[in-house]
Amino acid sequence: MVLIAVPSILAAQAEGTRRFEVEAETVGDALHALPVDDLIFNERGELNRHLNVYVDGTDHRERGGLDSSLEGAREIRVVAMVSGG
Amino acid sequence: MGVLALVGTAKGLFVLRGNEKRHHWHAEGPLLGGWGVYHATADARDGTLYAATNHRVYGSTVQRSEDGGRTWRRSQRIGLPEESGLTVDAVWHVAPGRVEEPETLYLGAAPGVLFRSDDRGETWEVNRALLEHPTRDGWFPGAGGLCCHSVQLDPRDHRCMYVAITAAGVFRTDDAGETWIPRNRGVVAEFLGDPYAEVGQCPHKLLLHPARPDRLWQQNHFGVYLSDDRGDSWVRVDENGLPSGFGFPLMLDPADPDAAFVIPEEGPEYHYSPAGRLAVYGTRDRGETWQPMTDGLPDPGWAAVLREASAFDAESLYFGTQSGSFFTRVTGDRWVEAVRHLPPIFSVEVAAWS
Repeated sequence: MVLIAVPSILAAQAEGTRRFEVEAETVGDALHALPVDDLIFNERGELNRHLNVYVDGTDHRERGGLDSSLEGAREIRVVAMVSGG
Repeated sequence: MGVLALVGTAKGLFVLRGNEKRHHWHAEGPLLGGWGVYHATADARDGTLYAATNHRVYGSTVQRSEDGGRTWRRSQRIGLPEESGLTVDAVWHVAPGRVEEPETLYLGAAPGVLFRSDDRGETWEVNRALLEHPTRDGWFPGAGGLCCHSVQLDPRDHRCMYVAITAAGVFRTDDAGETWIPRNRGVVAEFLGDPYAEVGQCPHKLLLHPARPDRLWQQNHFGVYLSDDRGDSWVRVDENGLPSGFGFPLMLDPADPDAAFVIPEEGPEYHYSPAGRLAVYGTRDRGETWQPMTDGLPDPGWAAVLREASAFDAESLYFGTQSGSFFTRVTGDRWVEAVRHLPPIFSVEVAAWS
């Protein structure tokens, strides 16, 4: 079981839920289990460009990307890289 | 009976309620906070609110509310076939279908595509004929992308409808979307090698007159145009009293097919009011003459009003500026700044409420 925390705009799209507990083997599987996965991935199935995903504080890309194993992981944090106006 | 204005902004949707005389307004919002609301409308068939929403991080979707904006439900993924090589850049305009098709809605989007929903906005299917139009190579995006921003239904003929795409032009279907014919004859596109090409024109807004559906009005990048033959030919009508042919919004009078209202800007390179004077210009003689309506508008003012940011009903005209002011016309052709300091206004639609 891994805990996933999402930004407030995604939470608003999930009836106010900011933290989710999901059972998944990989980072990608965990994100796809969310009720807002259509806002996290684009229509070609790629992670939206301005989102960062951290697994226990480490950028998921440094752990092998979306296919990396969640074995031993406790928390995934989804962060929107919003800048400007 | 009062007026309900749905004001889409860069940071969410505001619901404005005005009294019958439109002197007093109350603003509620932002709903859908953080989303760019390119267009929002109240479906007159059942009262459902629909919003075409875009976000830099989360992409594009349509959201709908059946309880006046308290709760929202978004559509399933809106996408294009992989073999098209295209993806949805933005959703622009939601148009409820006809009364006899109560589950149907249309959605104009970029890149120059039209979607149809037959389940009240839960799922959307792209119109293949427009997606695969043989002239698509002659289309190109404007500053806002290759946006399909105008969707107009002929109320007499369920097989006839129009779309306007920047910068591709106006297209009409007479067979319920099986085929689309470019309808740009007589409309100039000065930025093209052939300024009267079949496609590549830059309509900024297209409206069909509800009482005379053969009549179309068009605010174009290069002038204001009128058609009396369902777009088969166009006549330019902005050269008699308008300070500029360039502008985005377009409003009509549902009781008078000869009337139209526009808000000119200095020109394509200068998106602000001509000579620092924000004015709505109106004609009641098919564009033979135009009169400015400035009473109550800021002077001086350098406003910009976007293509979706105006609306009309039987009683009045409404528009919102990129500087966050919402104006409505009251008695005596006087304007009232009903609400100010909103985020940049992208869209305005109005409906009655009681």
